[in-house]
Amino acid sequence: MMLNEPRHRQYLDLMHERGWERLLFYGDGWRKENFRCLLNRNFCGAQILGSLHRSGQVDVVVTDPSDLEYLGPSVNGRIELSLQPTLGLEQLLGQSQVRSIAINGMEHMPARLVRQVAEACGSVPVSATLEIEELRRIKTPQEIAWIRQAARLADRGYEYFVEVAQIGMSEFELVAEVESFVKANGAEDNFMLVASGGTEVTGMKPPTQRRFERGDSITTELTPQINGYYAQICRTLVMGEPNAQQRQAYAIFAEAQQAAQDLLRPGVDISDVARVQNDVFRAHGFGEYTGPQYTRVRGHNLGLYPDELPHVLENVHYICKPNMIVIAHPNTYLPLSGYMVFGDTLLVTEDGCVSLSNTPKKLFQT
Amino acid sequence: MKRGLITWDQARVPPSAFATRLDALNQLMERHAVPALAVYTDVWRSNDVRYVSNYMPYWNRAFAVVARAEKPVLLCSLSPRVYPWIKTVTIHETVVPSPSLPIQLLKLATDRGWSRLGILDFDGLPYDLHTQIRADRLEIVDIPRELARAAPDAAEIAMHRHAAAIAREALSGELLEAAIGMSEFSLIGRIERVVRRAGAEDLVAMVSDGRRGLRSATGESVGRNTSIMAAVEYSGHWAKVSRNVAGVISPPSSLERTGYMETLSGCYPWQPVQRQALPDAAVVALQVELDGGAGVRLFYGDTCLRHAGRTELL
Repeated sequence: MMLNEPRHRQYLDLMHERGWERLLFYGDGWRKENFRCLLNRNFCGAQILGSLHRSGQVDVVVTDPSDLEYLGPSVNGRIELSLQPTLGLEQLLGQSQVRSIAINGMEHMPARLVRQVAEACGSVPVSATLEIEELRRIKTPQEIAWIRQAARLADRGYEYFVEVAQIGMSEFELVAEVESFVKANGAEDNFMLVASGGTEVTGMKPPTQRRFERGDSITTELTPQINGYYAQICRTLVMGEPNAQQRQAYAIFAEAQQAAQDLLRPGVDISDVARVQNDVFRAHGFGEYTGPQYTRVRGHNLGLYPDELPHVLENVHYICKPNMIVIAHPNTYLPLSGYMVFGDTLLVTEDGCVSLSNTPKKLFQT
Repeated sequence: MKRGLITWDQARVPPSAFATRLDALNQLMERHAVPALAVYTDVWRSNDVRYVSNYMPYWNRAFAVVARAEKPVLLCSLSPRVYPWIKTVTIHETVVPSPSLPIQLLKLATDRGWSRLGILDFDGLPYDLHTQIRADRLEIVDIPRELARAAPDAAEIAMHRHAAAIAREALSGELLEAAIGMSEFSLIGRIERVVRRAGAEDLVAMVSDGRRGLRSATGESVGRNTSIMAAVEYSGHWAKVSRNVAGVISPPSSLERTGYMETLSGCYPWQPVQRQALPDAAVVALQVELDGGAGVRLFYGDTCLRHAGRTELL
């Protein structure tokens, strides 16, 4: 039922191509996507393991009794509760003489579990993470529908953000309000960073107790999750009337983001999507602020994880394909305004891209 | 995800608490004849480094490296742009940019002339880190986690107690008859607002409609048989509390005797644990399923300190 059927078929094809007899999926509370790409239901246990057989059967071991009951109806094979992942893995591997095992999420799996797999099958398992990530990068129609829902919620969440932000409120109080709003409107989770202040601000982080002052730039990236899938929006809000430097900075960010949106289409190298954004900063004399000292990435993919690869960077090469979901955000520090952010969630279409974000493209002010 | 207030509550965890912990780690290093101990952390496994230095990543991974008789150094995969903030909420004075944690850890060992290094629960490290570190000539001593974290100290207990108080207050204020008819999403949104305004760093909420077990909210209407489990994190310390709209509770003795038990003192926020496998002292979450009549399932639970076989509500 919640088995991701199109993905299930892709994984079976991949197993066949690679000669893998078994494909394991390992997830924990941080990297849930490595399990949820198989069985898209949230889990609350510390760890979870899935096992895909060549027959299509999916077995699951959970470490929390709630997951046993919640996930049970979605599993077409066995589902077991194991308080210790090592015992659970033993159950999953069973007595069968499987010789070739691949693991999705192997990099994040505790080393003792990987060794246990190796001992059971007589050879070190191979990582399937990159190949499955490549499959996941191209979204199915259902996944796009969920991301559209998440993007709509991001729009509404940002509208609420602007509505409730006021001078004297602290960063963490604002986050409490917005987090409450997106959860009340169906978000399963939300990734959110903020910052506030002026030219002294060099990046976003979790909220602090700092209280907003007139003239502050308040930056945020808001990333609600619907049915496992994330969409993101980045905007900057000025408390009161923006000054000339803030307006000048915003114009550069808007131009850079638009350059990315104009370029993004199938066949384009993602490095060029970064380059055209950076070129705008260079043209305005701010090229030095496109490097790692001032910024992280010019965007990234979105999906079951809010920061999927490839990152949009000039030294990352990846040819874009239809139905990828990319946020282009030229977020960086500028001496004009301090750290500023601006970005939309973009769907790559057959001949270009469309923004899934409907929030006005402007520098917001209270 | 951790996206609420991350702070250093020095009233409950004073600098002296970290000094005591580091003293104990120094003794441990001496017993194992290692010059330094590396402790791993990431978004979901932040309890151990939080214990060492109060660092808890909102994103990414890190190692806290404690060299004997020195303040711990943080090898951090986050951008240097946030290091000034990190220094305000931790005891770290030195934060080293570490796009590759294994490379930076091994470089630190080389620079310091260490031929041996202790790593807390080395076999429990994520496989990619474990493989790269093991491939080096550096001798790794796997230090069992329970040797470094034998029992929660007074500061940790105070923090878990505060997290539990936030959770209880939110549930008692929101899980009322007045909530009947609102959607599960709305109710969780209200709880979210209360706990985050109280300074919680994170909330994980699960809901039961009385017919099924606890699960993520689906947007159904809250009814008299609705139960909510709220896992609240306050500055890196978790509490789990479950309540139901019907107001049915479990006597403490029953909760202690029959409740499903998870430790909140492990490396993950919560982990199931068998009573006989529990160390002498641990902060635990206990939860029972109560018979609400006519097949109705109600959930009740709380956060407790287990010490020498006794259970105390935090």
